[in-house]
Amino acid sequence: MTSIVFRRVLSTIPVMGVVALFVFSLLYIAPGDPAAVIAGDQASPEDVERIRQGLGLDRPYLVRFFEWLLQILRGDLGVSIFTNLPVTTMIAQRVEPTLSLMIVTLIIAVGVAVPMGVVAAWKADTWIDRSAMGFAVFGFSTPVFVVGYLIAYLFALKLGWFPVQGYVPIARGVGPWLHSLILPSVTLALVYIALIARITRAAMLDVLSQDYIRTAKAKGVGQRQILFVHGLKNAAVPIVTVIGIGVALLIGGAVVTESVFAIPGLGRLIVDAILRRDYPVIQGVVLLFSFVYVLVNLGVDLVYTFVDPRIRY
Amino acid sequence: MAEAARLAPPPGLAIAGDLPDVIPARKPLKGFLGFVRRRPAVAFGGGLLIAMVFVAVFAPFLGTVDPGVLATSKRLRPPSAEAWFGTDMLGRDLYSRVLYGARVSLIVGFSVAALASLIGLAIGLVSGMVRWVDGIVMRLIDGLMSIPPILLAVALMALTRGSLQNVVIAITVAEIPRVARLVRGVVLSLREQPYVDAAVAAGTPTPMIVIRHILPNTIAPMTVQATYICASAMIVEAILSFIGAGVPPITPSWGNIMAEGRALWQVKPTIVFFPAIFLSLTVLAVNLLGDGLRDALDPRMAKSL
Amino acid sequence: MALLEVDRLQTHFRTPDGVNRAVDGVSFSIEKGETLAVVGESGCGKSVTAMSIMRLIAEPPGKSAGEIRFEGRDLLKLSEKEMKKIRGDDISMIFQEPMTSLNPVLKVGRQIGESLRLHQGLDRGQAEDKAVEMLQLVGIPEPKRRAGEYPHQLSGGMRQRVMIAMALACSPKLLIADEPTTALDVTIQAQILDLMRDLKDRVGAAILIITHDLGVVAEVADRVVVMYAGRKVEEAPVRDLFAKPRHPYTRGLLGAVPKLGSSLEGKTEKLAEIPGIVPSLKTKIEGCVFAGRCPEAEDVCREFAPALEEKAPRHVAACHFSPREQEAAA
Repeated sequence: MTSIVFRRVLSTIPVMGVVALFVFSLLYIAPGDPAAVIAGDQASPEDVERIRQGLGLDRPYLVRFFEWLLQILRGDLGVSIFTNLPVTTMIAQRVEPTLSLMIVTLIIAVGVAVPMGVVAAWKADTWIDRSAMGFAVFGFSTPVFVVGYLIAYLFALKLGWFPVQGYVPIARGVGPWLHSLILPSVTLALVYIALIARITRAAMLDVLSQDYIRTAKAKGVGQRQILFVHGLKNAAVPIVTVIGIGVALLIGGAVVTESVFAIPGLGRLIVDAILRRDYPVIQGVVLLFSFVYVLVNLGVDLVYTFVDPRIRY
Repeated sequence: MAEAARLAPPPGLAIAGDLPDVIPARKPLKGFLGFVRRRPAVAFGGGLLIAMVFVAVFAPFLGTVDPGVLATSKRLRPPSAEAWFGTDMLGRDLYSRVLYGARVSLIVGFSVAALASLIGLAIGLVSGMVRWVDGIVMRLIDGLMSIPPILLAVALMALTRGSLQNVVIAITVAEIPRVARLVRGVVLSLREQPYVDAAVAAGTPTPMIVIRHILPNTIAPMTVQATYICASAMIVEAILSFIGAGVPPITPSWGNIMAEGRALWQVKPTIVFFPAIFLSLTVLAVNLLGDGLRDALDPRMAKSL
Repeated sequence: MALLEVDRLQTHFRTPDGVNRAVDGVSFSIEKGETLAVVGESGCGKSVTAMSIMRLIAEPPGKSAGEIRFEGRDLLKLSEKEMKKIRGDDISMIFQEPMTSLNPVLKVGRQIGESLRLHQGLDRGQAEDKAVEMLQLVGIPEPKRRAGEYPHQLSGGMRQRVMIAMALACSPKLLIADEPTTALDVTIQAQILDLMRDLKDRVGAAILIITHDLGVVAEVADRVVVMYAGRKVEEAPVRDLFAKPRHPYTRGLLGAVPKLGSSLEGKTEKLAEIPGIVPSLKTKIEGCVFAGRCPEAEDVCREFAPALEEKAPRHVAACHFSPREQEAAA
């Protein structure tokens, strides 16, 4: 089993390689002159030339790629065009709020979505199931920022229960920290809940129709045990998978949610970088998020082996 | 026969008594109304989408004015009989802007769905049929799928000038891997089928096998996937506009209207509210249609999606 | 009083194209310690009958009516909570597919112990010990090691033994076995039947065995109920049925008459071919349900459904053309 884990870990290297290649190559395959785009409409030809050299666009593609790759492997993501600060420093300053937001969201989403999906499957085709799945379709159909404004309008502006915007670092106490994170997390959680609940329901419906569930019922096992002991454990693989895949939604959503709630995280960083066309920063954040995403899904694969004895290689 | 049953039975015959109905019989639902009753979600989604397409096509004839006309004297008006949804900070008529905005969303949604499906189909077919291509393509796709789609689109948009065409390209690139992977999966599972084996053994040329046996089987899952891509593309378009990486700000798109309303959302929530409602309803319509298609075309996919 | 009395049981299902009358007015009873076989082609309602007795029919889309009296209590009237106490304790069940009927992610020892913990209040350790004991009883070598394994690590025959251990753990009064040997190799089939017979005597349980395999019927049953299209068409002690079937359908089934004891020699007789197909249960059938396939059917059969009549002592059948014994003798 250790060799399988080892091989699985190794297999992430080419994946990250492709991510790096792609993020790097965008500079070359983007239509038009990226240096000119980045420099902006008011830039002088000298500015454009300076940016072209800064990005290494004047040198051969492959040479530049391997230079850049070595640089990244040393932990250097380059320097921001706008602030002239190292990208790693800028990222480091912004990690905490984003990480907090994602973890709280993950907990809320899994905590709500899994029971919701299980109950929807149990009560399949009743009004409970229909409202849960209606809620899920609604979650898929509403952009994150719309949800954010709606929730902020209701619970912050009208009811005043939570701050409208802003983030309180965890160093200033867990209570205030959590208080500042509730609305953004619920906002971000909605689409994630929709996704997980749907997959949970589908997986549970599949499991509940299996012969071994009938066997358990014939033994006199109660409904709750059927659902959560016999059912959920068998449905765990697709559920865990979608939690992992859904992290992509979470990352995309965080970019928007941080803008809505003025949270100084990585999402804000990348949005600001887009407005300033600060490509090294965009590159760095995209790389980092992709790396996290790959790691999460590596973790998911390893979790399989704990939930399903048949996958224990 | 029913006539005969009413006759008296021959004497000496033991006749079984009639059994009651445990479940009352229900008339099967037929016709258009029957369809609405059986699949209210699909009917609702379909109706709504048709309405939105109508709005987009006939926007100039629905009591709108030029959505780009500025009227600085009429800034930030609340909804009224004159301006049904009110005006924005530049005095433009919000009702007209929102109606014209349907065009951008629907064009982005439909074009991305079509382009991503076609390109993804081509990549998936080649990858599923040609082994050496598969190795390379799947590596690339694994890598691409490791970049969260919105970030991928954002990175692409950061390097190009905002235009409708570039937005469509950026979102399409982000969606292609999903389709390619789906098609490849279908192709690989079909290649295991005995009838495909037989065709190969009989020396049928590969393109023939693809056209006859493989392509028809990819249509159902692809159609379902395409509707979901259409829905997701409309949302991504709005998000791109919202964070300033979308279509040019002068274009009246729902994302742009909301982006402009951002600064004032605490005092004038209607500017964000109206385009948000339209966008959500449109995406909802497409999603409901997608769910309906999935249930009708490919019940197995209900499990994987 | 009989242990179980099924009285005019009807179980219907709502389907998109009409109501499926899967079981329509079936009555039979089982005495203590008796083995009753229910036979018929697939789709004749025998499994639905078993599931109805266990109250495992999902409602909706299904619904049962009539009475199912177990030790005098109508199971259809019990609350779900009371029914839960009966399932796995007083009445337990073995299923057709040992491959899929065990939970793949739980160890077999735990699955056997589960009913003991539920019904006899044993704690985890006691249940585990008893589970090992049960595995030994059903003839699984190295029971202690096997109890700690997952179903996918066991062979098909062993899994069916586990199912039997699970069903008998709480010494039920009635064991319902739904095609218990169908999915197994012929040699294993004989072993499993032997095991069931042996354990039945030890535990003193009555058995309701559902099968389409007449070899199995001849092997284990005391009495037989023949079902067709959701109804009982004939019922008789096993010897009488094989010696003198009264219903044309039963005669069709017995087309190749199996010799008693044949399955011990590793041979099993499958049902003989009967021309035609089972009628759709989604429309009410006028006349005799078997008329469409019956070689002896006449107009009267297509118009008037025959009632079940005692054609000979303890031998009932529903056929207009099967004479009553007394009359025939007279």
